[in-house]
Formats: sequence, C-alpha cells, structure tokens
Amino acid sequence: MSANKWLATGNFFTTYKQEQRTFLTNLDQSIFTFFLVVLFSWPLLFHLSNKSMLVIDNILIAIVAVMGLNLVTGFAGLISIGHAAFVGIGAYTVASFCRTMGDSHIIVTHFWPLLIIISGFMGALFGAIVGLPALRLKHLYLAIATLSFQMIFQWVINFMSFFNQGQTIFVGRVFWVTGKVGRKDHYLFWYFVILTTVVLLGFGIRNLMKTRYGRSLIAVRDNDRAADAMGMNPGLTKVYAFALSGFFAGVAGALHAYLYRGVGFESFTLHESISYLAMAIVGGLGTLNGSFWGPVAINFLDLKVGSLAEVVGQYMPSGMNLATALKPFTFGLVIVLFLMFEPRGIANWWRITKSYTKMWPFRY
Amino acid sequence: MKSRTILFLNALLVLSVAFAFTVTANAAGKAYKIGMSLAITGPTSDAGNPYAKGTEDYFKFVNETKVLGDDTIDCTIRDDQYKTAITKRNFEEYIDDGIVMYLNYSTGSTLGLKRDFEEEKIPVLPASYHAGNLDDSNYIFLPVASYSEQLVALSEFVVKNHKGKGKAKVAMFIHPSAFGRGPVEDAKKAVAAGLNMEIVEVVEHGKDLDNSAMLKRLMSKGVQYVLCHTVQSPVATMLKDSSRLGLTASSYGEEGKLTFLGVHYTGGNDLIALAGDACKGFVWSCSFNLTSEKNDGTTKQLALAKKYGRDDKAANSHNYAAGIMVAQVTTEAIKRTKDAGLEITKENLYNTLNKMNGKNAYQPYTTIGPVTYSKTDRAGVDMLQIYSVQDGMFKKVGEPIQSEFMKKIK
Repeated sequence: MSANKWLATGNFFTTYKQEQRTFLTNLDQSIFTFFLVVLFSWPLLFHLSNKSMLVIDNILIAIVAVMGLNLVTGFAGLISIGHAAFVGIGAYTVASFCRTMGDSHIIVTHFWPLLIIISGFMGALFGAIVGLPALRLKHLYLAIATLSFQMIFQWVINFMSFFNQGQTIFVGRVFWVTGKVGRKDHYLFWYFVILTTVVLLGFGIRNLMKTRYGRSLIAVRDNDRAADAMGMNPGLTKVYAFALSGFFAGVAGALHAYLYRGVGFESFTLHESISYLAMAIVGGLGTLNGSFWGPVAINFLDLKVGSLAEVVGQYMPSGMNLATALKPFTFGLVIVLFLMFEPRGIANWWRITKSYTKMWPFRY
Repeated sequence: MKSRTILFLNALLVLSVAFAFTVTANAAGKAYKIGMSLAITGPTSDAGNPYAKGTEDYFKFVNETKVLGDDTIDCTIRDDQYKTAITKRNFEEYIDDGIVMYLNYSTGSTLGLKRDFEEEKIPVLPASYHAGNLDDSNYIFLPVASYSEQLVALSEFVVKNHKGKGKAKVAMFIHPSAFGRGPVEDAKKAVAAGLNMEIVEVVEHGKDLDNSAMLKRLMSKGVQYVLCHTVQSPVATMLKDSSRLGLTASSYGEEGKLTFLGVHYTGGNDLIALAGDACKGFVWSCSFNLTSEKNDGTTKQLALAKKYGRDDKAANSHNYAAGIMVAQVTTEAIKRTKDAGLEITKENLYNTLNKMNGKNAYQPYTTIGPVTYSKTDRAGVDMLQIYSVQDGMFKKVGEPIQSEFMKKIK
C-alpha cells in the first residue's frame, strides 16, 4: 500500500486484502462520493424535461440489464443472445401480478420494491433453467440455445391470452411515503429508484469479483478445464452465472414495467437482445464500468442520429428516409469498428485515461 | 457631447428595430402546436410514409393559404419506427412543448399510451382504427370506423352477396398481432347474433413466402370467401399463390373457388403494385376517396400533392388521403374553436370535437362520408365504400354501406 493514502503513482500492495479494497486511494473514494452526490442532487437543482428524464431513466435501466449481460458474457465468457427475454421475464412478472390482482392492487402500487425483487428472482430462475444447456454446450451452440429461449419467450407472450397476446398490460401508479407518485414527478421519482438500484447492483458486482464466486467466473471463462483441476465446479459456475445475469435482467424488466407504466411485447424482442449485446461490446466486455459506458454511448448515438435525420428532413425532405435509415447502419458500423479497433471497448479508454492521470506529470 | 448624441441615437435605433420586430411578431398571429409520431421508417412505413406526407402537406397548405387567418399550425412530425418506447419519448417531448392535439399512428402505441392521453386530457387522432383504442378511453378519436366495424360490414357484404347454397363459408386471414386479432372476436359475435355465415378457420399468417398448403387446406374445408385483415404484402403473396394454383374466383363468389376481401390496410395501390394481375376481383372496404374514382375531393388531393412536389405513388395513395384527413379534422377543430371565440387549448379542442355531429358534422374532401363525433361516438366516418379491382385499379361497388350488426353487438 502506498504511504500516501490520497495519492498513489503505482501499485504498492503487500497483502491480498489491500488489493481487494473497493477504492485504492482516498482520492478515488472522495471523487466517487462526490460523483454520487452530484448524480443524486442535480435533478433537484436543475429542471429537466420529461422527455430527457425518460431518456436518462431508460439508459439507467439498460445499465442494469447490461451489468447482468456482462456477468454472463463478459466475466463468465458465455454468449447470451436472449438477454431481452430475461428482461421480459422480469417485466412480465410485474404484468402477471397486474393481470391477476388488478393494476391498482396494493401489492403492485405499494409493495413495488418487493415486486422488483421477486421479478429479479424470476429472472434468476429462468436464467438457471436456460443456463442448463451450458453444462454441455459452448460457444456458438450455447448462443443458439439462448436464441431459442428468446424465440420461445416471444411465441408464448404473443399467443397466450393471459399475457394479452403481447398488447400492453397496464401497471398502476406507485405510492411513496409522500403519497401517490403523479405524472409530474413520475420520471424524477423513477430516476432516483433506478439510480439507487444501479449503485447497489454495481457495488454488488464489485464485491462479487472479490469473492471466490466472482473469481471462479473468470477462471471458467479463461479455461474451464484448468478451473476444474483447481477444484472449481465449472458446470455449476456457468449455471449460476446465467442465474445471476437473469436476476439483473429481471430487475431491469420490472423497472421498465414501472417506468413505462405498462408492459408490451415489443420491448423484449431479439432486436433488443442484440442491442444489449452491442452495448456490452461497445462499453467493454468483462469490465464493470463498461456496463455504464455502453448504454450511454449507444443511446446517445441513437438520439443523435435521430436528430441528424430530422435536421436533414427539414432542409431536404426527400433525404429524410435515407437519413433515418442511417440509424441501423450507424449502429452496425459502430459495433464493427469497435470489434476491429477497440475490442476492449470504451472501458479501455477509461483505463488509459486513469493510468495517465495517475502518473501525471511523469511519463512513467 | 457629440458622442453622447450618437450613442442616444443608436440606442433609439436599436429600440425602434426591436419594437418593429415585436409588432411584426404580434401581427403574425399565434402558432398552435401539434405533435405527430408515426412510422416513417421500419415496419408499416409503406403506409406511414405517405400518411406523414399527407399531414405535412395539408398543414403547409393551411398556413400558406391562411385558412386560420394570421394564425398558423406548427406541427412537428417524428419517426417512431413503429416502436412504442420511441412513441412515448416523442409524446413526452410534445407535451413538454405544449401541444394542443396529438396525432398518433400504431395500434400498439395508441393502446400503450392510452392512460397518458387520459391523464393529459389531450385529444388524439390515431392512424389505428382498433376498436380497443376506445375502451376505457375518452380522448382518442378514431378518424374512421373501427377495424371491427369494417370487418363486420365486410362480412355482411359477403352474406348479402353470397352465391351458392347454405351459409357462406369464410376464413379469416389476419395479422399475428393485436391489430389483426382485435376484430375477429367482433366478427364471431356478429355470427352469434345471427349473421348467416360460418367462420371455418382463422389463419394468423407468418412471414411465409408460399401459402399453397394453407390455400389447399381452406379449399378442402369448403371455404368460399377469405376475409383479410392485415397489411398488403402478405395478402399479395397469398393472392399470387391462389392465382398460380388456379383457385381465385373469376367472378365474385364463384362456387368452388376463393373470393378474397380485405379491410383498410390490405388494399390500395400498393396491393396492385405487389400482386399485379393476381389481385383482379379483390374486394376492399375503405372510408376514403380513391384517385381511381375521380371527384372533387381527389382532384384537390392530387393538386395538393402536386403543389408540394410529391410523386405519383404518394399522391395516389389512400394513406396520403388518410394523412390529409387527420390534418383536416385538426384544422377544422381549431377553426371552429377559434370562431366560437375560445382559446385554443386541449380542453376546448376536445369539446369542439365532441360537438362535431348532426348539422355540425364535418365533411372533409378526402372521405366518402362526414366525420361525426360525440361523447358516445368516437369513430369519425361511419360509412364504408366497397371497392373492387377492375382493369388494374380499384373501382366503386355500389353505394357506401354501414354495418348493421355492429350496433347489435356493441
């Protein structure tokens, strides 16, 4: 450990315990605390439109979902292309309560934190079930197995009348200690809820990686036979990686249901699964902060290309279609460029920036 | 001293210019904000694209020809790619901007945002004619009769014009979504209420490129009429397969063959372009005037398209007419509210729309009948025109009709 607790220009660990600290220096801790205070306080100081708050809430939900995907794909090295279906399981858990009890039932409106946790566990249950093929399958074959789950999910939702055949199932307005959360405060209220969830789950992953359960994920990813020889159980690790990922996705789904005050099939399609995967790749697979960068980058790109299409449409009406079609093109191009030139994602830029500032003004 | 005078004169000049601009701004009248969200790209954009053009052109026309005097309509049109999440984002932005009326598109998003419309108390004109839009809703106004009403009316047409003995045997060919499934229940209710036909099978189509097996199965079950409620491309595929297999009736209701009929989004010029000769005899219900049947309305429609440089495909599309129609209704509601000396607000526009009935009914040039709304009637044009493909274009069949059984089952 560095002698100076505020600044460290290198790694000076002398025990494993030191290496496992959440914050390496007091400066790191202070900056992080300041950043958190800013995140929680800015909406109280600056008014933002409902549309902007909706966009931000959406990004935060995507962060929760991508953290889950990163666990299974980034940390455990298991490809999942049915992640949106797991998110859907969470959302449809809330929807099922609404269908059976009514969308204004006290459990839906007052006990929503409990419902969000139950949705997470439902996601975990389905994650574990879908993870079972991982005991025998690897790589492309496992990807196809998760794709099958996505297809089955879509089919069930689309055809079962209990799930309103994919049409919107409404979710009632929730209550907080101050009373019913009205339309005016809806997005702000959910901003705080989702942000709190992101912080808690983020710390959860950070701490998980310090435990043997977290390390076994990485060991199984790097070489499952070697991990087996070291006394780990690769099969169980894979199933529990899927379950954990499902939990995160389930929580994200429940938050989505409450934020949009309804659950409709089209938010959980294969296209959404691919989007989550793209966010994880662009952010940086196998890194915690990559789960934050990816959703921000992809959503920002989506909005900016949309705005560009609008501007083009104003000056050249005939060019609007082409400009709007740029959206999926840009989306694909960004993924390809990242895979080619920065496979470690934006998280790697963050790592480079951090290591540069750590040594500044010295070069090495 | 001299420099002070110059400074004073300059300040006076700046103030005069500012004042002049203020006066000009006031003289320019008010701008009423309207928001529209629809699929310009993505699924169903073949319909959404001309629809958006129709609305855009008509509002431009209104502003340029001073239909509302010095006041103007400021309509923002955004693409939602047929995704409810994007529609919601657009809607929230419009609400932040202070719109007084909202124009929506898809069935999914209209159903999904229904509660937001209720809470915002904002009148909404969607491009979806799904009957479910009206359940537990006060602020959604369907431009024309619901899909359910159209499908039941088309079923009544089948029964009235049935050729052969016994009940008319019908199969439904529907879109695998809320949009497609919604009206089927109402058609079944109409049958239960005494409509003399038998629904043999309800087929939810996939993305099949070949319908031979399905058509053969329908034939083996004795089906004589296929009622379609979906979009054009699957209908075109089916019509081409039927024609190739020699199963299409050469005249309406020919026994031992299949006669195809469809609701609003199944027909139009796009169907003819996709299916070619195979759509000969296809029967279609629609509440809009078609440019293949020239009248004053279609002449104005084509003139509008020409004025704003639209191509023939858009100009002749019934979706272009539908886009114009919602802009017409919006403009008329604003005009009537203004004429009544009321401020243009969401509430006043809502009340004006509810009074659009009886002698106050509104007749836009794009539709085959008047638009009527009241607190109990939220479907605008109740009349339907039956068209049939003859010589490569849709031609009128008889006078406009209205469903009788829909009143019984409501």
